[in-house]
Amino acid sequence: MTCTETRDLFSALADDALTPAERAALDAHLAGCADCRRELAGLLRTVKLVRAIDPARAPAGFVDRVLAAARPEPAPKRLARRLLAPWQTLPLGAAALFLIAGLAVLLFLGSHEQQQAARYQPTTPGPAAQAPTAAPRETGSSATTATRESTPAAPPARSRKLETAKNRVEQPAPAEPRAETTAPRTMAERQVAAPPAAPEGRRTKVDSSERAQAPAGERFSSTAEDARADATTDAAKEGKLRQEPPAFQSPPPFGASRVAPSVADKSQTMPQVAPLSRTRPMTGVPTAAPDVSAHLRVPDVTLAELSLIELAARVGGRQTGRRIDGGRVVVELAVPRDAYAQFVREATALGSLSIERQATERPVLAVTVTVSN
Amino acid sequence: MREALGADPPGLLERLRAGEPRAFEELVTAYQHRVFGVALRMLGSRAEAEEIAQEVFLRAYRALADFRGDARLGTWLYGIASRLCLNRLASPDRRVARGDAALADVPAATPDAAAAAERAELDAALRAAIAGLPEDRRLVLVLRDVEGLSYEEIAEALALDPGTVRSRLHRARLQLKEKLERFA
Repeated sequence: MTCTETRDLFSALADDALTPAERAALDAHLAGCADCRRELAGLLRTVKLVRAIDPARAPAGFVDRVLAAARPEPAPKRLARRLLAPWQTLPLGAAALFLIAGLAVLLFLGSHEQQQAARYQPTTPGPAAQAPTAAPRETGSSATTATRESTPAAPPARSRKLETAKNRVEQPAPAEPRAETTAPRTMAERQVAAPPAAPEGRRTKVDSSERAQAPAGERFSSTAEDARADATTDAAKEGKLRQEPPAFQSPPPFGASRVAPSVADKSQTMPQVAPLSRTRPMTGVPTAAPDVSAHLRVPDVTLAELSLIELAARVGGRQTGRRIDGGRVVVELAVPRDAYAQFVREATALGSLSIERQATERPVLAVTVTVSN
Repeated sequence: MREALGADPPGLLERLRAGEPRAFEELVTAYQHRVFGVALRMLGSRAEAEEIAQEVFLRAYRALADFRGDARLGTWLYGIASRLCLNRLASPDRRVARGDAALADVPAATPDAAAAAERAELDAALRAAIAGLPEDRRLVLVLRDVEGLSYEEIAEALALDPGTVRSRLHRARLQLKEKLERFA
């Protein structure tokens, strides 16, 4: 056996991977060749050095981030979510109608006198009485809202898995207001004089592009929705994104808790308002400035919006809100700081991205992206 | 070097195929360090390694239904990780000099100061030497001497002939030895 042939076996010798015959030939050569013995010693030292490298450990939270990105969502639930999507992203006009109808129910239930009166007054359905049912149909026909993924309230993958059954019960929650409003519709109409003309005036015109200039009635619930988004952002700020209470999972009736107390003052009959007071408080939530605000110019706003939401989910984050600002779509996202570089890199591929503000101190960044043509 | 790969956790594959949500979490938990480890040693950046490691598990998740089970879960994941790393390294925008960052966190676990300094110098040389290996050789070296896979496991993960694994490993080690000659 030559020196070259011998040395070709050194590596396998270090791994104890020689056949007995190879081993015998090797030993025979080494016994009489000092050069090869020296070479062998050098190679074994090198192998030892490399093997002394400590095995790496994945960073903390890695498993959670993978699970969040995988979002193992069973097909029936995904279908249910798609079907319910319009309800979760109701145009604000429809939300305002629900709000008004809901208030009417409160007043109706709360006032014994009026209940008495209602018994003797035959109700005749007026034009506005169909509003609550008409509005959702418009929602469905609006391409923007119908296709929008409503993820703000989506629970993290791990807890969602555990609570699948629970979700199935909770998901249809947004439909409740409609059920409540059907019976006392006309009473509702008659008694709610405070936000005037909102049901009639807006019903035929509600569409996503008009929400920016919403009248008083709509602005009310718009604020409530913003507060909801802000609250979610706050949760992200505290790094509690993954531990959201299950209460987050079903969107509350729009603006309900904000408005209910003022009604209580007027009617003084609030103790019976269980259905609406169940929602979590939204008042007093400060508006937090985002860590990152950016502007994305794209040919297709809707597509870009969906891509951003998908991207956020892919990098372990999520959508926390959405609003229309001056006619432009503003997507609010929570992005883990570790994945921020990847987020920016991939967001750049969607169109022309300009970052107006960028602070990356916090572990989960509140990112606001304005999307326009 | 990491401990031997060993057999799959009992029953895990069956539960994964049955779509049991908890099973996927177990898979990620069991193999996260191995998958991250190979990505880190190949790419050199922790952020990039995490990105790739996450992608490995997402691909595995999507491909579970098609996984025939003729390889072990561990070698299958190492295989996906290896392919993704090689693809990443080959991508045009990645062709920048990041080599020195490879093995950035090689430990200096020597108690006394003089030895520590020497070890630090050696670590730097080792880091540079490994980063300087051709990618296919570096991959085999990392899988064998850092991740502790056997020749057969490497062959299975990379779909290579065991003889090829052996010769690549041999060339990688010889190359390293030459670069580290002065420390020998």
